[in-house]
Parts: sequence; structure tokens; C-alpha cells
Amino acid sequence: MLKVIARTANLAKTPLSRSLPAFSTCGARLSSSADPTSRREAPKLENETVLTLPEEAHQKNALESNITVPTKVDLTPVSGVPEEHIKTRRVRIYQPAKNAMQSGTNNIHHWEMEFDTRQRWENPLMGWTSTGDPLSNMKVQFSSPDEAIEHCEKNGWTWYLDVPKTEKPLKPKSYGINFSWNRRTRVSTK
Amino acid sequence: MLSSLRSGVLSTWRTSARALQTSSALQHDSLFVHRDTPEDNPNIPFEFSPANQKRVEALLAIYPEGHKRGAMIPLLDLAQRQNGGWLPISAMHKVAEVLNVPRMRVYEVATFYTMFIRRPIGKYHLQVCTTTPCWLRGSDAILKAIKDATGCEVGGNSACGKFSISEVECLGACVNAPMVQVNDDYYEDLTVDDAKEIVEKLKKDEKPKPGPRSGRFAAEPLGGLTSLTEEPTGPGYGLQDALKS
Amino acid sequence: MLRQPLTRAIALSSPSRVAPLGARRYADAVPAQPEKVEVFIDDKPVYVPPGTTVLQAAAQVGVEIPRFCYHERLAVAGNCRMCLVEVEKSPKPVAACAMPVMKGMRVKTDSDLTKKAREGVMEFLLVNHPLDCPICDQGGECDLQDQSMAFGSDKSRFTDIHFSGKRAVEDKDVGPLIKTIMTRCIHCTRCIRFASEVAGVDDFGTTGRGSDMQVGTYVEKMFLSELSGNIIDLCPVGALTSKPYSFAARPWETRRIDSVDVLDPLGSNIVVTTRTNEVLRILPRTNEEINEEWLSDKSRFACDGLKRQRLVTPMLADSRGNLTPVEWEDAIVAAARAIQDCPPDKLLAVAGDLADAESLVALKDLVNRLGSENVYTERDFPLEGSGTDLRSSYLLNTKIANVEDADFVLLIGTNVRFEAPLLNARIRKAFIHKETDVAVIGPKIDLTYDYLHVGDSASVVKDLATGSSSHEVLKRLDAAKRPIVILGADQLKTQEGSALLAYTQELALRLQDKLQDKNWKVLNVLQRSAGAVAALDLGYRPGVATALAAQPRVVFLLGADGGVVTREQLPKDAFVIYQGHHGDVGASIADVVFAGAAYTEKRATYVNAEGRAQQTLPAVSPPGRARDDWKIIRALSEVVGERLPYNNLDEVRDRLGQISPALVSYGEVQDNNYFAQARALSKSLQKPVSGTLDVQLKQLEDFFMTDPISRASPTMAKCVQAVIKQKSSVY
Repeated sequence: MLKVIARTANLAKTPLSRSLPAFSTCGARLSSSADPTSRREAPKLENETVLTLPEEAHQKNALESNITVPTKVDLTPVSGVPEEHIKTRRVRIYQPAKNAMQSGTNNIHHWEMEFDTRQRWENPLMGWTSTGDPLSNMKVQFSSPDEAIEHCEKNGWTWYLDVPKTEKPLKPKSYGINFSWNRRTRVSTK
Repeated sequence: MLSSLRSGVLSTWRTSARALQTSSALQHDSLFVHRDTPEDNPNIPFEFSPANQKRVEALLAIYPEGHKRGAMIPLLDLAQRQNGGWLPISAMHKVAEVLNVPRMRVYEVATFYTMFIRRPIGKYHLQVCTTTPCWLRGSDAILKAIKDATGCEVGGNSACGKFSISEVECLGACVNAPMVQVNDDYYEDLTVDDAKEIVEKLKKDEKPKPGPRSGRFAAEPLGGLTSLTEEPTGPGYGLQDALKS
Repeated sequence: MLRQPLTRAIALSSPSRVAPLGARRYADAVPAQPEKVEVFIDDKPVYVPPGTTVLQAAAQVGVEIPRFCYHERLAVAGNCRMCLVEVEKSPKPVAACAMPVMKGMRVKTDSDLTKKAREGVMEFLLVNHPLDCPICDQGGECDLQDQSMAFGSDKSRFTDIHFSGKRAVEDKDVGPLIKTIMTRCIHCTRCIRFASEVAGVDDFGTTGRGSDMQVGTYVEKMFLSELSGNIIDLCPVGALTSKPYSFAARPWETRRIDSVDVLDPLGSNIVVTTRTNEVLRILPRTNEEINEEWLSDKSRFACDGLKRQRLVTPMLADSRGNLTPVEWEDAIVAAARAIQDCPPDKLLAVAGDLADAESLVALKDLVNRLGSENVYTERDFPLEGSGTDLRSSYLLNTKIANVEDADFVLLIGTNVRFEAPLLNARIRKAFIHKETDVAVIGPKIDLTYDYLHVGDSASVVKDLATGSSSHEVLKRLDAAKRPIVILGADQLKTQEGSALLAYTQELALRLQDKLQDKNWKVLNVLQRSAGAVAALDLGYRPGVATALAAQPRVVFLLGADGGVVTREQLPKDAFVIYQGHHGDVGASIADVVFAGAAYTEKRATYVNAEGRAQQTLPAVSPPGRARDDWKIIRALSEVVGERLPYNNLDEVRDRLGQISPALVSYGEVQDNNYFAQARALSKSLQKPVSGTLDVQLKQLEDFFMTDPISRASPTMAKCVQAVIKQKSSVY
């Protein structure tokens, strides 16, 4: 969870932080530089690693690492989603808002994507809510906005990022100011 | 009797598997919300009397600037005394106005302390101690005698409007148990006859003599001193000769 | 698909143009931060400034300590004891919300002792809490429910039901918005603290003592605050619930759509809760730069006005002058015919308070293409000097969040409390926590805090601007390090408006010039409506009166319900087209009515008083045959024969971006400049002023019904009634 907070904090400094205009699909990516403070000690060196020749090391690395596919993945031809839904709809990528009625914040530390709301109606049979829109109930959770963006681009959806403005500087709270003799914070009993 | 019937009924219910249960409300003997009554409503004006106005100023002068609200309890007490032993809502409003605090802050204080009485009471507030020491010394009989003599129930006012009776917890005069407090005076070491006499005198608006009724001056042993009976020794007692000048 | 050129996207999003709030540095800020202390929360080290509470330190590492009475925006009370945690070497568990951290403190938030303490506290809380969750409106979003699941005991030792029973407390009547079930109260005192600290209406308190203590008002009294709804959110149990929403829905059967409020000029962030195409309630959404996590009562409770008085179908006046429902084609053709027959200079478009930027730009483009420049807003603003050419002249340049940092606030002719309740809450916050002083020029009003009253004559502003005033306020303003001046836009209606604005600019700029902090903006103009800024940004001209004098033959009212345009002012044969969502003042004089969508039904751009563009999202679909506003105008343009060059929302927004990039940089607000130029242009307007300043919204009862939505809301009507009734009471 901390990571996500740190991530969001980072995000605020990158150009993407500002919720982009709705029609932008700019391909900018967040830098994935690891936070050095998260490392606790120096990496351990193994004899074998140190002694291998450079070309051997390269070969070994190549065998162990993942293969990255440079081309853009486009799922639209195979996903079966009607073109109308892909071309005309917009996906909002956001962090769920805290429920104002509660003080807990446990399940809002992720990013979500959702489609715009379309018409709903009350089903006359049971009184449940019906909709003709299969995508509207699709809420996918991601741990970071770039994952969400990648997912959207794979599916060919237009997206926009809505970064909540919930960060504020830490102000130490104090029980004592309730009783400070010369300040206006002493407004109530309690 | 009704209550015993009720508990009997309840006990039979409790035995059945799914009893019909009612929870009786826990209730304090005074109400913590205000209800307008003909005697107590904000349309009845309240002003401090000129003499008390001087006291108000003197009380306020004790507290430094910005802390005038510290005078709230003394002012409420003053208002209660002026108003014949109880505190009407307009007096609370007056105190709020004098101290320049929201009215709610005064209500909070007035409802917190049980010695602020927010309902009309009689001229003589008889507070009978029924805590263990007094109870062991016969406070039940005293209470009954007072109830009979005044014609007034605990927590109520007498028909003549002169008396109110409260049962109170320990008033700190256990040595002189049983005891009754009437307004500001303690009447101690009471017998049933004493209690009756006090009430009779109060009925005639005479002031009975406060203090112990057993002939004691204060809280000394009833049968005379049992220790420290001899004359106190003078200075230099027990000092070795060499030190005597 | 239309894509924004990359260069512009980069230009728009370059961070240098917008300084993030947290990074703002003041010239006189205290440079040396005290050394941070290291504490360990569950063995995780965290560095926090000294004086931080254990609870805050734990939040820094993502450990959430359960709490009921603690709220980060209220004073610390420390009375629920739910936040008890074990601290190493401390013999007893400590209340994390009130305990300041100490160097090397080792806090265990998950130890056996902590768990036992929480379980004990839960047990005590539940002794007197009724088990009526199935009939409680808080059920499903209740802190007590959740925390008793997480931290409570799995079995009950409560047998007192056989003896003295649970505590029962009588319910209080605090008005038509808040339902109280006081037996459920756990005495966290959040409502009391909110009322006295944030709302500034000190009517709540605790009466009695011990187990007879109750939270309430003691006397029968309505909670006379414009922010009262927030205590419903604050209440961690179901003691305070929403009266209009009572027994309406459970939280798990509703959908929440994040949106933006338009009923006041601040654009508070909201969550619209819906079920089956019906708006059930509106809750605030945290935005530190606008509304924190509060919401004004009008924004919160006027949503039932969205279901009443709605225009659900296009309408056309029949031969007897009655509006009758017709098909969209007929209505549009009738309107188009009137527009085509009208000479361009006799065509007039008037935009109202709730018009969104998309429909505003579409209407303006249409009217301009027809050869007319007559696009007006209902609200007035002086056009002399720089007029509306410079954004700084009509915005809250200081920005809402920065108001907290001001050390002297001068309000000129505005009742911030009712015109922008959350801005007033910010000022009150500064008043309480930063010892900020406030001065008011205008009528004496209750702002919930003390202020210096400087008089109600406009000449006071002149004296302050020219420095000829001998009033104490001038000295205070000159001495202030971060002063702000807020001018109510309503004052600019009169003939003297331009002079008043000129003097205010002069005063603000004179103060700004000598500030150490060169980034601090002093001048603020508080608009009255959510649509005002976007309209001015797009080039709508303020002040309809001159245009009406020219006897227009076709008038297009875009949600213009302010009553500025009346039938009497128009020639007999004038044709009035009204487009909007409520059958209000505008629709009543119309010949053709286009049924538009309200703010919960469309994706639309609104620019708030600071100049921050935000978008609403459709939560429900428009009722009946009502349509998105910009689409109606686009359709009309086609029939008129001047097809507007946009086919979808992206293209409309692209057009908005062409006019002003600020209109599409959502969520962000840019710093305004050109103050000196505006001041120079207005120098010649500094004429003597003699009028008195008055405000429209003086009392709480004026606040509730100010726009078509709140006028249609039964809840708001009840509020007005209840407030008037309360005012006649002796309490």
C-alpha cells in the first residue's frame, strides 16, 4: 500500500499527473526508477557472477530475462467488443474516492477504470436495475495508473486520467491547543 | 407493589425460551433536555438583582481577561440562589449573556452538576443522606418521618410548595449520622422527633438550630473524650535536665 | 478520432505552469524545520516532526488505527478510546490520537494488549448501542459496524437487558435535513466539534453526565448552519442520518459517480449516488484544493430538485400561447425558422447560471456564424477598462486553498457565508488556526466569526485604495504579509461597478506590489454562479440590459432563469427560445422550449470561481426526451443552415481548448497575471463613488433557493420554512 502512495506522490511530479485532456492518448510512460530509500543494504556479490566473462554474462542474462515484444498489442480485432463501444466511449482511470460517511481507507489504494454511465432502468419484474450496456459494470482494478493505461490502449479505448487531489501536508495535531490560553482554537468545551 | 408484580411477571417470562423482552429505560431523576413549562420558559425574564449585580462584577473581576467563562459556576450558583434555589432557563441565558459564551456551553455546565436544579423546587430543599453510614444509623426512619411531616415524595415538591425532598449520597457528615441538609445548613445526629421538629419549625418559617442534635458540639465522641483526657503537658516536658536552662 | 497535437499536450501539461499546492513556498516561511524524530510503528521506522501524534505517525507508514472520535479536520478530543495502542515501556495502552510521539517510541498496533484494549472499548461502546443495524440507515457504511467486526469480541457478555436495560435517549429535532436517533449515539462529539469549529454555530453540546450524558441542543433548536449536512458524514454511527435519504437505499445497491457540484461558484467535488436512473443523494468527495471534505447543504440536499419541475420533452407554444409537448423536429424547425427570419443584429443569446462550457461555446459559435455578436450572460460585470479581457479581473486569484494562509482578509460587498459556504469555512479555518483577522465592507452580516466592520459605503473602498482612509483596517492591510481582498461580483451590477472594481484593483495591487512574497495574489472577485467564469472566458458579454434595449426579435435563453430577461422588456412579436432543464422563470416566457440535461446527466465542463475547469460525469440519463445541451444546439445549427464543425464531445472540447487551454486542463488552475495591466487600464475609471454596498443573500433562509434546481427542491423549501420558524422561536 505504501508503494502505491509513493507512486502517486511520484506521479504528481510527472507531466501525467495533471489529468490530461479527455481526448489525449499521449503515450507517455511513468519512469519506473526504483526508490533508493527502499533498499536496505548493498547488493551481495556472488563469486560466480563476478568471475564470468562479459559475453558469458550477457548470454546468461539473455536466457534468464523476459523477452519484451516491441510492437504495440492491439486486442480490438479479437476481443469481440462491438466497434461502437470501442470508438465512441471513454474510459476514466481514477482512484476510488473515500466514502465520506466512513473514516476507513482500506480499499481505495488502487486505481480503477470505468466506462461512462449509460442509461439504466428499473426492471419491472423484480425491481432490479437493468442496463443494456455490458461494459458499464466492468470495473477493473490496477495497482498503478500505467497498468490501467496499458490495459486501455491494448483494448483500443480512449482513456483519461483523473488524479484525485487528496494530498496535503502533514500538520501535527495537538490535544493541547484545545486549552491554549491565548488562541482561537479554544472554541469549544469537549 | 406494581413493580413487584412486574418483576414476577418478568421472571416467569424469562424462563420461556424466547421471551418477550422489554428494556426498561435507565433514567436519571432529572431530565437532560429542556421542556418549556409555565414556570420555566425563556419568556420569563431574569435579571440579577442590584446587590447580586455587584457580586457578579466582583466574581468576574477574579478571572483574567479571556478566561471570564471561568466564572460560570459561581454565576450560576448566584442565579440559583437569587431564584429561590433553582435555576430557570432564562437565568442560564442571562449567564451566557454576561459571560459572552454560546448558551449551549452554559446548558452543559448546568446539566452536569447535580446541585444546579433545573426544575422549580420548594423554599426548603431537604436533602436526606441515605448512604451506608446514615442508613445504618436509621436514615430510612428519618426519611419516612420527613416525608410524612411534609407530605412530599422524594424528588417532588410538597403541596404547599414549601418543601422538596431529595435522597442524596454521602454529604461527608458520617460521624454525625443520620443527617439532613436543608438549603445550606446541616442538621445532624437526628432522631425521628428531631426531624419532625425541624419540619414543623420550617413550616412556621422559623430557622431550627443547625448542627448536631445529640448535645455534641461537633464531631467529638458522644460519651466524652476517651483519650487525651488529662491536661496537656507544658513546654519542656520530658526534656533531660541538662538541657533545661 | 481527433487527437490533440503532441506539442500542445506537452505545453498543457508542463509542470512549470502550475505550482503544486504542497510545493508552494512563501518568502517568509520558516526555513528551519525542527529535526524529525524516529519512531517505530510495528517495528517499521518512520521519521515525523516532533509533536505529531502516534496516530498520524502510523498513518505515515500506512497503518490505520481504528478511531471514532478522532477526525483529521477537527480538534483532538480523545474520548472514544478506540485508538488505544500499546507503547513499549508504557504501563498502560495510550490513546494514539492525542499522544505525541517521542524519540525512539515503539508502538505496537497489533499486539495482544492493543487487541484486548480495542475489544474492551468495543464492548463498552456496544453496551449502550442498540442492535438495530437492520433498520439503521448507516448500515453498510457504519464505522461502528465495521470496527466491531474487525476489532470487537465474537461473543457478548451483555446480560443487563434483563435488569436495567440499554440506555435510551430521546431524539432531537435539529431541522429538516438531519434525522437524529440519539440512542445510537456513542458520544464521539464529532458533531459538536464540527458545529463549533467549522460551522461556527455553537449549538451542540453534551448535557448531563455519566451514563445519562446525551449529545444534543438541550433546547428544541434547529441546527442553523449552511454546512449542517456534514455532521451526517462525520457521525461514525447512525445517530445522525440524512432525513431526505432516510430508508431510501443501502450503500451496496447504489452506484457512485464522481462529479462536480454546480450550485455554488466553487465547484465542490461530489459523489453522486444513483440507483435505477435516479439520483438518491450527493456526498462530498475530497479535494484538498477546493472543498476539503465538506459540502454545503444546498449542494448536498438540492438533488431532489432534479426530479421535479423538469422539462422532459421539447415544447412549442400553441395558438393560445400554451406550451405543448412536441417532437424534437418540430421544436427545432420552429426555432430555426425564427432564427432564419431574424436579422443578425436582432438575435440575442443569453446564458444563465448553470450553463456548461460546451453548450456555451456551441451557442456562441452558432450565433457568431449567423452574423451576430449578441451573446450575453445574465450576470453583470463592468466592461470598461480591461473588462473581461484579462482573466485576473474576474477570478479568485488567491485560490481557495491558499485563503487558509492569508493573514488578513478584506471582504467587500460579499456574504461569503452564503455565496460560497466552503470558502467561508476556509476563512473561518484561517481565523481559528492562523489568527487571521477579517474586515468587512458592506452590510453587517453573520459570517460565523468576528470581523472588523468598516462601513457599508463604497467610498470606504476608495479611501482605502487611495490611502486616504484613517481607518485601522488600512494599517492592518499595509502591515499584512499575505492579505487578500475579496470583492463580491454582485457589487459590479450598478453604475458604480466599474469604479468599485477599479478601486479594488488599485487597493489590491498596491498591497501586492510591496509584498515580500511575489507569488501571492491579493485581488479576488467572487463570482456568484458556476457558469459565470466559463461564459466570461468564452467571450460572453456581461450585462443584458443594453442588448435588450436594442429590441431583439429572437432571444435564445440558455438556462437563463435569473429573471433578467422578461417579456415586458421584449417587443410584442419577439420569439423566445428557452433551453434548460427546469421549468422555471426562463421557460415560462418561452415560445419554444428545448429540454436539456442537468449537471448530473451530462459530461460537461464547468469552470469554478478560481478558474479551475472541472467536468461533471453523467450519473443518470436525462429524463424523457431531454438531451445533452451542446447536442441540441448542434442539431439546431444544422437546421438553421450553419452547421457547427463538431460531431462529438471531443471535438467540442477541442474547440474549447482553441479558445482557452485553461478550459480543458481539468482539475488544474493556472496562476493569473497581468494585474498591473488591468490596473493601468482601470486608472481612468477611478471616479468618485457614493453608493452603499448591499448583498443579496443575508440570512440563512435566503441561501437555500437560489437557482432552478434548488427552487424545485422540496427539501430546500422545507429548510426555508424551518429556518423561518426557528428564527421566530426564542431559542
